Amino acid sequence: MSLQRLLVNRIEQRILVGTVAFLATLVLVGWIAINEGGRMAAFDKEFTGRSIEDGAMLFASNCSPCHGADGRGTARAPALNSPLLFGFDYFADIHKQREALTTEQGLPTTTQARKDEITKALADLDTQEKQREGAIDAAIKKGYNPDQFNRLTNLGWSGSLHNYIYSTVFSGRPNSATYWPNPMPNWAQPTGGPLRTDQVEDLTQFVLNFDKGDAWTTDDLLAVNQFPKAAQDPAIVAQLQDQINQLQQSGGVLPVYVGVDTAVPDIMKGLQGVTGDAQHGQQLYTGQTPQALPCTGCHLNGSVAPPMQGTWTRIQTERLKQPQFAGWTGEQYIADSIIHPSDYVVPNYQDGLMPHTFGSQLTYQDLADLIAYLKTQDQPSS
Amino acid sequence: MSVLPFPSFLDDVKEKGLKRAVFEGINEVTERMTAGLNVQDIREALRGEPASRKPNPRLQPHADGFWLHMRPSYFHKSVTGLYPTFRLGWLSTYFVFFETITGILLMVWYTPSPDIAYANMLAMLSNVPLGQFVRDLHRLGAEAMVLIVFLHMLRTFFTGSYKRPREFTWFSGVILLICTAFLSFSGYLLPWDQLSLWAVTIGASMVEAAPPEVVGTNLNLLLRGGPDIGANGILRFYLLHVLLVPAILFIFLGVHYYKVIIHAHSLPPSEENIGEDTAKRVPLDKRVYFTPDIITSEIMWLAVTTLILVILVTWFYHAPLESHANPQVTPLGTTAPWYFLWIQGALKLGDKVLWGIVFPTIVVVFLIVLPYIDVSKTRRWAHRRVAFSVCLVLLSLLVAFSYMGLPEFGVHNSADTTIIHEMLQEPQHKSLGQLLPVPYDQLVPGIYTTRQFEASPDQAESAIAALNTQINGGNYPVEGGKTLISYMNDIQFLPATSYTFTAVPSDATQLQNAMKFFTEEMDANANELLNGWGAVVITEPQKNLKRVDVIITWDEVQVLNGNLVLDANGKSQLVKDANGNSIRRINSDHFYIHRDAQYFLEPGG
Repeated sequence: MSLQRLLVNRIEQRILVGTVAFLATLVLVGWIAINEGGRMAAFDKEFTGRSIEDGAMLFASNCSPCHGADGRGTARAPALNSPLLFGFDYFADIHKQREALTTEQGLPTTTQARKDEITKALADLDTQEKQREGAIDAAIKKGYNPDQFNRLTNLGWSGSLHNYIYSTVFSGRPNSATYWPNPMPNWAQPTGGPLRTDQVEDLTQFVLNFDKGDAWTTDDLLAVNQFPKAAQDPAIVAQLQDQINQLQQSGGVLPVYVGVDTAVPDIMKGLQGVTGDAQHGQQLYTGQTPQALPCTGCHLNGSVAPPMQGTWTRIQTERLKQPQFAGWTGEQYIADSIIHPSDYVVPNYQDGLMPHTFGSQLTYQDLADLIAYLKTQDQPSS
Repeated sequence: MSVLPFPSFLDDVKEKGLKRAVFEGINEVTERMTAGLNVQDIREALRGEPASRKPNPRLQPHADGFWLHMRPSYFHKSVTGLYPTFRLGWLSTYFVFFETITGILLMVWYTPSPDIAYANMLAMLSNVPLGQFVRDLHRLGAEAMVLIVFLHMLRTFFTGSYKRPREFTWFSGVILLICTAFLSFSGYLLPWDQLSLWAVTIGASMVEAAPPEVVGTNLNLLLRGGPDIGANGILRFYLLHVLLVPAILFIFLGVHYYKVIIHAHSLPPSEENIGEDTAKRVPLDKRVYFTPDIITSEIMWLAVTTLILVILVTWFYHAPLESHANPQVTPLGTTAPWYFLWIQGALKLGDKVLWGIVFPTIVVVFLIVLPYIDVSKTRRWAHRRVAFSVCLVLLSLLVAFSYMGLPEFGVHNSADTTIIHEMLQEPQHKSLGQLLPVPYDQLVPGIYTTRQFEASPDQAESAIAALNTQINGGNYPVEGGKTLISYMNDIQFLPATSYTFTAVPSDATQLQNAMKFFTEEMDANANELLNGWGAVVITEPQKNLKRVDVIITWDEVQVLNGNLVLDANGKSQLVKDANGNSIRRINSDHFYIHRDAQYFLEPGG
């Protein structure tokens, strides 16, 4: 049949060509399919490379002014190119031995002779560590602690390092201005920053690429310019600021704190000659001073802690009647309650709620002021 | 007896025996499904035998069936060869369905949102088996479809097939061409990479030029969903791409096909008398029946074309994916998709309204009205010299405008920017900077200069030494009251306290070639970059990661209206400051390269 002028003229040839082409397509697609695993893995690797490149670009222009072009930190921000971030332990051998020995020492089956041996071995290890610490002395002086070698563990971070870096870049550290000149900004667009989330990921990949795994050297540690600082409670920072102000006003005399361990008779000696100011005492009590004491947070309505109202009356009529307070004055009772809250717990209230740290926050003047204020609470107990 | 009002299959078995009952059952089902052909008819057709019963059952599906009512039951022998159709219409339709199928597969993995569209692309490439394969097929098919549809139109013009009575077929074809171009264009945006964002931004900015201003502004807002393409814009383009434009396309595809049934394929011009249209009156001895010849041919071509496409994406083609779309960074040398380059070229001629709106509109209107303007009856080539001449002139213009649309044409950047771009360009439009393909191990950390290659080989060492003395002997001042070193430290964040140039290692041949290219470019622009020299600084800030800086520094020369001010000898003139000293300028940029990063997907990899 030569009627039609089709390119493939005979029908059986068309069927053959079509079938062969179809089968060839199947074979080719099958061949591609079985190679997909390798191709996808290769793409992942290549793409991580691209991501690190993009991250490096962003790091140079956005991060290096504070974290340093080499990532080793400046006075404005801590090092990222640092074994501390990646948790490299320079004394892994010693730490391991010490842990094993301490565990063994604590076992009930360990004999006394062995325990003594272990004590000696531990002392040896300490000496050994001290000697070796000499090599990284410069880093220790900058704030590195070889026993706390893992940043994530130090912070109690439960996620991965990737999570930690990503979230830090993503939302910044709003609080960090209290211990750095500037806070770590929020970089991601969803938090109001300039970077897209994939760029945050690029930066994270770049920072993770600082990791040298097991190949960190002492030189790497010594090259670190700046280690992380511990976050401060803003109240403490404000208190320190207050101290500095006081210092400037008083011409260089530091305020004397009561101290958390001072016994009641010594406290009373310190209070001699100090006149309490009930008005300042009220400000302290209600948290309006730089120390921002939290008294009224609990001493409110009697549900968590005894209420403020009628305190002085109750002390006189109830507390001092207790046998252990025989011969005490109301002032002694208040001083003891504030500095050593667990000495006596009013019935029906829980021990351990009230902080034991007020001794480090209050000067004798502050304590006298508080006492003076509480003495005004002498209305009849309800 | 069956409980049914008609004999059941079991009754048939009882009556005729199992074998015959089954065979007749199959036969009946086949005849219903094919709307007329039973098993025996199909067997005969596939054997190439004539039909054994009358009336010819092979014509039945064209009258009674849905699918084949769109196809003629027979063709004229003269239109079944390569000429005159070149199978271009069939190929266009092939691509419509090919793109629909691959497109639906891609839709499974795609979300039209700027937040995750690009991540979807990466997931498709890194985590979806055959994801890259399907994406490549879809992209290749889209580009091929634009070309094929355009060629189909050209063919129709050359054979005069748009003439009466086929004017409306031509019109529906123009609509299909526009749909095809717009489908391809709207799909361009969806990967949300730099290529797509900027190509579409250029295209969409033409809409903004539509006069009067209130119309242009609002049309632009309507299309982009905001002043810039963002979450709303990508969703709109997506809906245009998968819903609106395909709907219009399928409607007009139906019209187009129906018109072919009505008018049949036009015969080659030489086979008809002038003014006659005998395509519908095919003599019995010239008929090529759809079944079996055309259908087997089409199924064969379906398999062969698919195989060709699969071979292409296996070894020769990968859909590009550039870096994430960034509205803040316009890549140097951004272009529209190649099939819209002619508009971009025309825009360089001047007025945005005239060349961006009026001109393309005239082109489209001209195409639509062509059959109504060119009303001469003859389809013979020899009689249509004017039409052919006009067509060839327009085609030449198309090529010329498209060339003008390329970034190489008519866009002038300063020499330093251009050279740095040529050295460092990110992968874009299938090209990349000279330094990027240098193998990772040949990027030996060090500081290299074009001075080495300007000098003759035996002078190279002393040229480098001289430059070292110049840089480190005193402060090498550059613009902004900075030294070279402080500029690199403060502006480019490249930490270094001194620069010691060395010769490029002799075994790093590709790095040497890139440096030679750099030197040649500096030399070619010596008038603009007076007393200029270039440097390449390679450092390794992390393991498996290198940073490559390109630095150009030169004395500023006088420029007027974008042109150099030259003296009688053709030399450029220095710009002097208040103290009569020349002004030293500097420009620099850098990129990072990771050992594992690969810029273009290796075909077949």
